[in-house]
Amino acid sequence: MTTTNSPLLKVSGLKKYFPVGGGFLRKPHNFIHAVDDLNFEIPSGGSMGLVGESGCGKTTTGKLLVRLYEPTDGHILIQDEQGNLEDIAYRKGASMKAFRRRVQMIFQDPYESLNPRRTIYDTVAEPLAVQGIGNISEREERVATLLERVGLTPATSFMFRFPHELSGGQRQRIAIARALVVNPSFIVADEPTSMLDVSIRTGVMNLMMELAAEMNVSYLYITHDLAVARYMCDTIGVMYLGKIVEQAPTEELLHQPQHPYTRALISAVPIPDPRIKRQVIDIKGGISAPIDPPPHCRFYARCPLADETCRDRPHPPLQDKGNGHLVACYKV
Amino acid sequence: MSKETPILAVENLVMHYTTRKGDVSAIDGVTFSLEKGHSLGLVGESGCGKTSIAFSLMRLLPDNAKIKQGSIFIDGEDIITMSYDQLLKFRWRKIAMVFQAAMNALNPVYTVGDQIVEALDLHDMIKNKAEAEERVAELFELVGLDPALMHRYPHEFSGGMRQRAVIAMALSCEPDIIIADEPTTALDVIVQDRILREMKKIQQKLGMSMIYISHDIAVIAEVSDHIGVMYAGRMAELASGVDIFERPLHPYTYALMRAFPSIKGEKHDLTTLPGEPPDLLYPPTGCRFHPRCPFATDICKEKQPPFENVGGEHYVACWHPMEVHNDHH
Repeated sequence: MTTTNSPLLKVSGLKKYFPVGGGFLRKPHNFIHAVDDLNFEIPSGGSMGLVGESGCGKTTTGKLLVRLYEPTDGHILIQDEQGNLEDIAYRKGASMKAFRRRVQMIFQDPYESLNPRRTIYDTVAEPLAVQGIGNISEREERVATLLERVGLTPATSFMFRFPHELSGGQRQRIAIARALVVNPSFIVADEPTSMLDVSIRTGVMNLMMELAAEMNVSYLYITHDLAVARYMCDTIGVMYLGKIVEQAPTEELLHQPQHPYTRALISAVPIPDPRIKRQVIDIKGGISAPIDPPPHCRFYARCPLADETCRDRPHPPLQDKGNGHLVACYKV
Repeated sequence: MSKETPILAVENLVMHYTTRKGDVSAIDGVTFSLEKGHSLGLVGESGCGKTSIAFSLMRLLPDNAKIKQGSIFIDGEDIITMSYDQLLKFRWRKIAMVFQAAMNALNPVYTVGDQIVEALDLHDMIKNKAEAEERVAELFELVGLDPALMHRYPHEFSGGMRQRAVIAMALSCEPDIIIADEPTTALDVIVQDRILREMKKIQQKLGMSMIYISHDIAVIAEVSDHIGVMYAGRMAELASGVDIFERPLHPYTYALMRAFPSIKGEKHDLTTLPGEPPDLLYPPTGCRFHPRCPFATDICKEKQPPFENVGGEHYVACWHPMEVHNDHH
C-alpha cells in the first residue's frame, strides 16, 4: 500500500487531435479534437468512471493513458515503483516496457481481444514472457493461481483450451487475468461488460472490484452506462465532445448534477422500475464530430441555458464548486 | 370485434432449429396474449427465445426452423396454417416489425423515402406518386423526422434518424401490431429516450398494440404495461409491469432485477447468478432454470413446472414460487 498523498495518475492538458482529409504528400486541413485538454487525477486504489455518448472521446482517452496513442499535447504522470511521478506521455522504445508492466487495459469485446490461435495459458502468460518475469514453471503457477482467482476452476482444465471453447463471460475473465498477471498498479477498462448478458455481467463487475481492492489496483472505467459507472467507481467524469464537462464523487454527481448536459444525460437513463416516473429534460439536436470546433463552450449549440456569454467566451474551465465537484459551465 | 378477444394469442408454441448437431429447442411451449392497444415487453438474455418469438409471429423464420406445435392467432386468424399468398397480404398490414440494428435494415442504394414507398406500393396502399410522397411525409412527421429528408440516403442519416426511418416503415401499412426488437440497443441514452417516448406516443395516438423485445429490463419497464420474462426458450413469468417489480415470483425474475444497477434509489450490491444459460441443444431436464436456481429441489430436476395463473394477470412457471416472495420481504 502506498501512503503518499500524491495521486497514482495525473493527467494535465491532455490532447489528441486526429487529422481528417489530406492525403499522400498533402497536409490535412482539419482536425477532430477527440480529446481536448483533459485534467484529472486518480488516487492510489481509487477508481474513476468516464461516461459519455459515443464519439465523446472516452475510448481515445483510455487508449492515450495506456499509450496505444501518442498524445498531441499534454502530460500523463504516473507513479513508478518508487512512488515518484513520471511523465510517460511521449515515451518510446525500451522505456515503454517498464511502463507496460504497471498499466494494463481490458477491452470491450472479448470475442475480438483474444487471439483465437493461442491457448488460454499462452494468452495469459504472454505479458510475463514479454516482461521476462519468472521461469516457465513459475509462470505456469502464476497463471494457474490467477485463473482460479477469476473463477475459471479448475485452472488445469482451462489452461490449454482455446477462446472459441469459452463463453463471453469466461473470455472476459481471461482478459482480466491477463491484465492482472503482471501486477499492474493501474488498469483502463473500456466497456468490459457491455457485450455480456445481465446475469453474467454482474459477476464480472463484482470480480473486477474485488480484485482491484485485493491487489490495490486503480482503474479508469469507461462506459456509456451511468448505472454501471455508479456501481463501479468512486468518482465519475462526464465527457462531451472531447472535454470533461463535470466531475464529482459518484453519488454527488448523480444526485446533484449541475452541468446541463449531465442533467439531461441522467434524466434520460431508463429506470428498471415501472413505479418510478422520470422527469424528462430534453436537449435539442444530436452529438456531432468535433472537427475544428469553435472556441466557445462545446455544448453551446444544444444548451438550454446558453446565452451571449457562452458564445463569446472560450470553453469554460472546470471550476471547483466544493466537495471535489468540478463543473465547466458559466451558467451554474 | 369484441373487447375480450385479444389481438394476438400465442398458444403453447414449440419451435426447433435443426442443426448438424441436432435440434435446438429455441421455443418450448410459450403461451401469451396481447390485448388491443396494450404493450407487452419480452425480456431475457441472449438465446432465451425472445427474437425467435418475434420471427415466428412474422413468419420470417429461417429454413432450418420448424414450428412443431402450437398456434399463433392474430386478429382471429391462425398464421401458422396460413398459405404463403395469404401471409404476404397479412404481414405488414396486420403485424409489422422494427428490426434490431436499423443500419442494416435499410438498403444503402435507395433513398429512405423510396424504401417506404416500396412497402406502400407492395400492399396497394397508394395510387400514384403524389399520394406516395404525401404519405411518406406524413409518416416522417409522425416519427419526428423532417419530411425534407425523404430524398436522402441512409448513410446521410444518424443512428437515431435511421431508427426513426425504420419505425416509419413499420408504421407505413398501418399495422395492428408492431414488434420492436431491441429498437434502441445501439443508440446513445439521450437518443434512446427520445425514440422510446416517441414510440409510446405513436402507440397511444394510433391505438396500436406493441411487443417490445429487449435484454434491458429498464427499457422494458419504461414502455410496457405487461412484462414477460423468458428463460431458455420458456416463459418464466408474465404479469403487469408493477407486479413483476413488486411481487416477482420466479427466482429468475428476482435474480434479473437484483443484477441490474440503477442510478435511482439506494446503491445496493448486485447479486450474481451462478453458471450460465444452458445450451439448448441439450436443455436441462425439468425446469430449465434448475441448475442455476438457489431454491431448486428434486421435483425441479424431474418435472417441468406448469405455467400457471397465480391470481389476476400474473402467471408463473415455478414449483416454489413463494420462496422468492418470502426472501424478498
